[in-house]
Amino acid sequence: MAKHSFSLSPFSSFILPRGDTLFYLIALFSILSLLLHHLSPVSAENRHFEGFDADEIDDFADSDEPISVAEHLPPPPPTTTLSVSDPIESHHGPPPPSDPAPQVTSQPSDPKPASTSFDYWDEDEFEGIPQSPPSDSPLIMESATATSSDSDPGLKPEPEPEPEIPKSISSYTVEIVCVSFLIMFVINYFTGKKENENLALAWATKFATKDSIFEKNFSLLGVGETDDSPLLLKEGQNVFKFYASGRRFCQGMLATMELKSRHDLISRLYNMVVPCKDEITFEVYMNDDAMDHVVVAVAKKKLVKTMQKEITDLQRFASLVSPPSGRKWIAEELAVVSESKEVAGDMISETVLDQVFGDKAYEKFGKGFISMHFSDQHLGSHKKMLVFKFALPDAKNMADMTRLVALVPYYIDLVGRYKLSSHARTKTEGARMKVAQEIYKELQNARQEALQRKKAEQRKKMEEAEAKLGAEALRKREAKERARQMKKAMPKMKMTRTG
Amino acid sequence: MSSPANDPRQPAAARPYKPSPVAPQDLPIDYSGFIAVIFGVFGAMFRYKICSWLAIIFSAQSLANMRNMENDLKQISMAMMFGIMGLMTNYLGVGPRASKKT
Repeated sequence: MAKHSFSLSPFSSFILPRGDTLFYLIALFSILSLLLHHLSPVSAENRHFEGFDADEIDDFADSDEPISVAEHLPPPPPTTTLSVSDPIESHHGPPPPSDPAPQVTSQPSDPKPASTSFDYWDEDEFEGIPQSPPSDSPLIMESATATSSDSDPGLKPEPEPEPEIPKSISSYTVEIVCVSFLIMFVINYFTGKKENENLALAWATKFATKDSIFEKNFSLLGVGETDDSPLLLKEGQNVFKFYASGRRFCQGMLATMELKSRHDLISRLYNMVVPCKDEITFEVYMNDDAMDHVVVAVAKKKLVKTMQKEITDLQRFASLVSPPSGRKWIAEELAVVSESKEVAGDMISETVLDQVFGDKAYEKFGKGFISMHFSDQHLGSHKKMLVFKFALPDAKNMADMTRLVALVPYYIDLVGRYKLSSHARTKTEGARMKVAQEIYKELQNARQEALQRKKAEQRKKMEEAEAKLGAEALRKREAKERARQMKKAMPKMKMTRTG
Repeated sequence: MSSPANDPRQPAAARPYKPSPVAPQDLPIDYSGFIAVIFGVFGAMFRYKICSWLAIIFSAQSLANMRNMENDLKQISMAMMFGIMGLMTNYLGVGPRASKKT
């Protein structure tokens, strides 16, 4: 009994968070077992009394019986199977005065459970309890074996699952763990989905509703064609898109929110080990005539280095800009990669330093800043693009990133109006020409290589075909040659004959 | 921050959103679906209960991460089938437990 309660306690604590019917079942089971635990000694005592009763009666009745009963006295305490039904048996008048014969028949059944009780302890216990209601019927009179066999079909539905659990708790751990994980997964899917949607909606209500930054700057908000269209486009459970268009200098702006995959329990657990952030990326597609030669990127120092290595246009045109002396510059954690110092200086203007990138402002408002990348040489469908990457704050603290979001329209205007000085322009044009030539050369080389490869392949194919046909062709050729030789030889023969 | 005197909005220049077409091979690889298929096959072939269960769990994950229906559903449904098949053979097939229940 104690063993079961021990094995149960961790199990029940494991199940607890679900608070399921299984838990109730186990609770029920433990209560039942406790009850039985209490009952068994009492019933054993009853048994003793009953035995005495029987003894007395038997003493009066017969002299042989007491010996047999005395022999069987020791076993009763461990037997719990019959004990429950016994008290009832004793309450009813009939049993004691009954013939010794049933007693004797009942006795041999006693040692059996006693010996097997260690193997099938629980099953017997559970059979015992529900037995009690039917046991008050005269059926008990017949024998213990009869009751036990009779009770089986009637009890089948109820005790069936109960003996199963204690028997196989250890063997069912896989199923229990997996099923509970699945249930948790499903619950987490819905809660996480809701969380992500709330976060995206909080952002949209903060920045894209009436009298907000984007409403004041763009004439068309949302992904649809009409004004009533939804603001956000949901792509997957953790990606939300916001589109705006109808502003000077740019064709449109696409904001992509990539949130943590809160809906996915596995990646949620993974993110506990490897934390990640909710990110929002603004892509501003500039008009072709509204952006001069500008290649600038701003990010934290480490990120800048990786960006310069991985992003091709930065790799081609830009280099790290050292902070200029005699001028306010961005906070120390940040670094600028740019095509020239002039562009970097003009892009990092006084207002921006004041608002976000200056030492003081950055401490306050720069938490969410990840990177910023302007280029007129982007790879892909649209060349002239401004890309901003920010980290999203909580749904409640959405106002924290107001200044960061305000950077977007500000830079659209700044870049749209910006014109390089003629000196710098010649330089950048030269650089672009060079790169364009290089790309052209590369393309040509690639084309030529492709052509050569094709030719080589064709040649190979021809050779292979020849090799395949080789055997037959050789035979034919030989046959032809032989025929030719024969022809040559024939006239000679004729000549000799005639001659 | 920048307070332009005139309204920057130009309704005439507004262009409706056009979702950029994404080629199916450019989509991120569905690792969980792949893992689910592998586990499902293992579970069904060697009758490892835990493999079948893991297949079910991972296919649930890839179901949760599904972006567009058509592309992923094949793989996920395959993984699901393998997982369920493995479980069926484990629990309803030849086993002492199954005979007891019936």
